Amino acid sequence: MKQVYRLFKSSYRIFWNDKVSVALTFIVPLVLMSIFGAVFGGSGSGPQGIGLAVLNQSSSPIAKHIESSLDTMKVFRIIKSFQTDSGKTILFDTLSIQDYVRNGKASAALVLPPDTYADTSAGLYVKFYYDPKNDIEMQTVKGLIQQLVFSQFPSVMTQSMLQQAEHYLGKQSGRIFNRSMASLVHTYFKIDTNRLLHPSLSNFSFKSMDSSQGSTNFLKNIVRMESQQLIGKEMKNPWATRSVGGWGIMFLMFTLTATSSSLFDERRSGVLMRLLTSPVSRTHILWNKYLFNLSLGIIQLLFMFLFGWVMFQVDIFSNFFNLLLIIIAASVACTALGMLIAAFSQTRQQANGLGTLLILSMSAIGGAWFPTSFMPSTIQFFSKLTVVYWSIEGFMEVLWRGAGFVAIIPHLAVLFGIGAIFNIISVRQFRKGHIFD
Amino acid sequence: MINIQQVTKKYPTVTALDAVSLEVSQQEFFGLLGPNGAGKTTLMNLLVGYMNPDSGTISIDGERITQDTRETRKKIGFVPQSLALYDELTAQENLEIFGQMFDIPKKFLKERIQNQLQAVELYERRKNKVKTFSGGMKRRLNLIASLLHEPKVLLCDEPTTGVDPQSRNAIFDFLTTLNKQGTTIIYTTHYMEEAERLCSRIGIIDHGKIIALGSLDTLLEKLAYDETIAIIKNPLTMKNRAVFERLGTLLEEDDHYELKPAAGFLLSEFFAGIEKNGIKYSWVELRRPTLEALFLQLTGRRLRD
Repeated sequence: MKQVYRLFKSSYRIFWNDKVSVALTFIVPLVLMSIFGAVFGGSGSGPQGIGLAVLNQSSSPIAKHIESSLDTMKVFRIIKSFQTDSGKTILFDTLSIQDYVRNGKASAALVLPPDTYADTSAGLYVKFYYDPKNDIEMQTVKGLIQQLVFSQFPSVMTQSMLQQAEHYLGKQSGRIFNRSMASLVHTYFKIDTNRLLHPSLSNFSFKSMDSSQGSTNFLKNIVRMESQQLIGKEMKNPWATRSVGGWGIMFLMFTLTATSSSLFDERRSGVLMRLLTSPVSRTHILWNKYLFNLSLGIIQLLFMFLFGWVMFQVDIFSNFFNLLLIIIAASVACTALGMLIAAFSQTRQQANGLGTLLILSMSAIGGAWFPTSFMPSTIQFFSKLTVVYWSIEGFMEVLWRGAGFVAIIPHLAVLFGIGAIFNIISVRQFRKGHIFD
Repeated sequence: MINIQQVTKKYPTVTALDAVSLEVSQQEFFGLLGPNGAGKTTLMNLLVGYMNPDSGTISIDGERITQDTRETRKKIGFVPQSLALYDELTAQENLEIFGQMFDIPKKFLKERIQNQLQAVELYERRKNKVKTFSGGMKRRLNLIASLLHEPKVLLCDEPTTGVDPQSRNAIFDFLTTLNKQGTTIIYTTHYMEEAERLCSRIGIIDHGKIIALGSLDTLLEKLAYDETIAIIKNPLTMKNRAVFERLGTLLEEDDHYELKPAAGFLLSEFFAGIEKNGIKYSWVELRRPTLEALFLQLTGRRLRD
């Protein structure tokens, strides 16, 4: 037993001295749990800042109330106008709002048409346009919009019934009838008669509705929400089209971190020294690593997209040139990240530990696993600083939206920019570091 | 041919080389002998242009060697202490990669690879991955990987580390032949036997300084005595250590004692002493002193301390 205790104690000593193992055991799970907790665990405030274009063409109070309710919801970033190429701000119309969603500037659009609510009919009519590029996000948006619209229905119904009674029975008899009905409802359901006779829209909010109540099915028959998918209808496999980029980038980063770290193996074996004692310079070696990793990254991503095409019918050929540009840009950025990790590490183990931490964290916050809109606003800010975010957005642009070269210029610029910055830092660090000593 | 002038190299905590000056002639087999940490590897790294000295100059055939003088490196072959090979590649693939770095035309490279593999008896294994090789085979491959560009100078940094005696002898024979064919060799080691066997001239280095330089005979002349007496270790000789200690400095080796006679030592007194204690003559042998003894005399330490 003494020997077991000694071995047990030495195991802990060895483990504790291996800082990478300690970091992988405690820090990586901690970071990922924090991100997941912020997204799903209730510690965050739920989805935030989802772009929703809104056009209200109705003058009815109920439509105005829906519009003002939307304005107060943190989950949405309400957009009511757009800027033209000349920089002029113009309010949406029925066509421009759809184009806005088609161009990926908002996830969805809600149009409250002139006939959203009519006095002569007991019903509510809205149009909903959406881009399901992110399935989870769109299910959430649709659910919230439906909940908001349906929650207006009790006031619509009550107002309508009061008006109908006065219309058919005459003003005075109608009022008597309404009062008697309100009194009866009060007797049996304990609802304030004033609230029934003078329904105010502010008395109802979507939060007071419980969609699990049986009323939902009833309401569905009366509230007409006309939904129209604007993008991706023709996709053979929307799920694969949406996912392939995110998964591809995550695995690419793992590959490139590993290959960049091979410098440490070459140093340990002496190969690096042998090469440096031939007519090969340090710059040659770094260029070789960079070009090898870059080409490997491009090949790996192409392979993954080809696999997506063969297995899941992801359409990669109709916009292949732009897809190739994004693949190259993403590979440039990921290669530079791999080199940066290697430059700041002292050993292969350190590089692997740091790489795992960064890759998993960036995949989580960059949108590879779940929509960035589900994260707290601070994390959403950081997600835009990741290679993963811009790569995924770039792939979505070309594969999902069929975007042309001009539309992907920002993505290319950011990815190449990240690559350039990381490369400059890496080269400086390699010069300062000890990998060639 | 090789000229090292006042070379100093310092690391944050230690001065690895302290104003070292040295000249090595063409076709010389020069040995650099010293304990671990003496500065041998640092000097090799400077000679091959892997790093720059803090001060001083190194030149080969009048051409300065620095990190930036890549063309001059074509004159040098370097056999590193570690097995600098790609384990996952075959012997042939390894040689092709390292040979290509020296711009050797493909046709010549193929021919040289074949010749070198045959010379170290690895030709039959040329298509096997290096990871399947024994330590000795890897060492031999490590050696010929540095010779494909037919360098004028070969720098060997402890090339027999961890090698079995048979492979070690094969490497020695190979290097001797190479030297006879005209290659200048600088060979670092902490095994005095290797330096004594191979090198025409030897430099002894310690704490970053060359403390002795010359041919083996010249160096041994610096010793205060001409011969040492080896006494085989056994219970009786161990019991009678005091008999020998009275006659000189007694060093304990693995299987024998080595007696370095004190001034005024008389062989007749020694024999009388051992006879009196029942020690057999066959356990005693007169030997030529070694570089180990010189190193001990110069530094007060042993080479492998």
